[in-house]
Amino acid sequence: MEYILSTLTFTGISLIGVLGVYLVTGLTGLFSFGQAAFLAIGAYVSAVLVKNFAVSLPLAAIIAMLTGLLAGLVVGVPTVRLRRDYISLVTFGFGEAIIATLNNSTNITGGATGLSGVPQYTNFWVVLVTVIICLAIVIGYKHSKYGRQCLALRSDELAAKAMGINVERLKLITFLIASVMTSFAGVLYVFYTSYVEPGAFGWVVSAEWTIIVFVGGINSLTGAVAASILLTGLPEMLRFASEWRIIIYCVIVLLIINFRPTGIFGENELSLRRIKQFIRKGAKAA
Amino acid sequence: MTIQQLINGISLGSVYALIAVGFALIFNILKFSNFSHGGLMSVTAYIGYIAAIVLMNYIDSLPLFMATLVAAALGGGLLALVVERVAFRRLRSNNSPVIYYFISSITMGILLENILTIFASSNFYSYPPFLPAAVINFGKFTIAIPDLLMLFFSTSSLGILLFVLHKTKIGLAIRTMSFDINTAKLMGMDPNAVVAATFFASGVLGGISGVFLGINYTLYPQLGQMIVKGFVASVIGGLGSITGALIGAVLLGVLEIFLIGSVGAGWAPVFVFIIMLVFLLLRPRGIAGVVVQEKA
Repeated sequence: MEYILSTLTFTGISLIGVLGVYLVTGLTGLFSFGQAAFLAIGAYVSAVLVKNFAVSLPLAAIIAMLTGLLAGLVVGVPTVRLRRDYISLVTFGFGEAIIATLNNSTNITGGATGLSGVPQYTNFWVVLVTVIICLAIVIGYKHSKYGRQCLALRSDELAAKAMGINVERLKLITFLIASVMTSFAGVLYVFYTSYVEPGAFGWVVSAEWTIIVFVGGINSLTGAVAASILLTGLPEMLRFASEWRIIIYCVIVLLIINFRPTGIFGENELSLRRIKQFIRKGAKAA
Repeated sequence: MTIQQLINGISLGSVYALIAVGFALIFNILKFSNFSHGGLMSVTAYIGYIAAIVLMNYIDSLPLFMATLVAAALGGGLLALVVERVAFRRLRSNNSPVIYYFISSITMGILLENILTIFASSNFYSYPPFLPAAVINFGKFTIAIPDLLMLFFSTSSLGILLFVLHKTKIGLAIRTMSFDINTAKLMGMDPNAVVAATFFASGVLGGISGVFLGINYTLYPQLGQMIVKGFVASVIGGLGSITGALIGAVLLGVLEIFLIGSVGAGWAPVFVFIIMLVFLLLRPRGIAGVVVQEKA
């Protein structure tokens, strides 16, 4: 039971990261390969504050989120004006720079050996509640004016601009929401594991999140959630050899991109109306 | 900055230039950042290693070095053809949006890297020493012979590439395609053949840079992540310009050697990132100043 709970907790934390990527990639069509660095920022800032400066947890979490926001601004402001490729390049460089910083400021972060002895404050239920809140935020965002503008921007930036959408501001807002959300996931992460090391936040983690969004279907939030539960939760439980797991991921993604570019779920979302429709159809058929 | 640092920087920059140009070639023609280039470089570094180990019994020193380079270059070219076939051919025929090329190339890169990890099981290997680690003195300054060789081979392969691009028929075809792929198609050119040729060229460059990286560092599956240097060089030089990539790469090499000398190897990536950000803020087009339009 303990084991299942801990797996579920980790799945929940990475689900928050995936939700951030869904906002950036799925809704807006940008690629962030430094998303895991926001996890690192959240984790390290809050852990160092609580452990070394005896700041209370809520305050530390807020400061961590603000730091994430600031970092998002630093990366976002110069890049939103540019071609989408730049965002992925810059976020990539940003992620590597954050890791280099963490590795080098040994006296604060413990360097490559990591930071241990962080008190354990979070548990599964806290993570679950956070996931639900984040999910609500993302659903709300998707159906708001901004979400629809994001979709327009993703399919054709030029046309969106011509329709009077402030493309740059929209990209920045979306990116910032994702940054703050992921930073908070970092806070949850460090106060659950009570240990962090820079190696856990490399670009492969960010790429894995992006892949998850794609497997689920870039247009479907349900798909993203289902895929992240499937791809992070199950292998943990089934104890797959981790290296083969990534290869299997990659093959799945290549197949999906080549043969079903809309992802497993396509445009479909899980909603009450859909379930009712489905049941009605079933009843008719029977 | 001393002259010595400048010399070392240029020699490092020439390796970065190989990476950056291999990457810029694909960017030019298909307009996406080819992340799979990194995985390709890792694989070719291992191909070169195997070739070197096998051939070591028959030849040595310079011929061995050249044979290794040729093996890796050919391996890289062929692998690039496979990558193009598996990851991009179908996308092109589906007219998929750029995002899909992107994700496909990242996935391909991670895939190659992880296949290597399984077969090489994350062990570190190193190339046999091709040449005695001697240095040549120019007055006060010294150049290590391997560095000099790398400089020589990377400049000559880039020279050959530029010659092919500007003086041959296939080069003209590649440049036409990068200018406007649809019009080229209307003129009766076969996009598949030209794109395949471009991938082959980029794979050859990737193969050579893989060997150099393997010599400079040790051999490990994540070696290809040095592709970041190629990206940064392209950003500084201007995405979509081959000369820009060259200039950016040499600048980056010199800059890195200088930073390592002044702030240490650990902090260098942080400063490189900051410089890249400043560059994007001040001159987003890069040095070469080619404006790449998002196609509507």
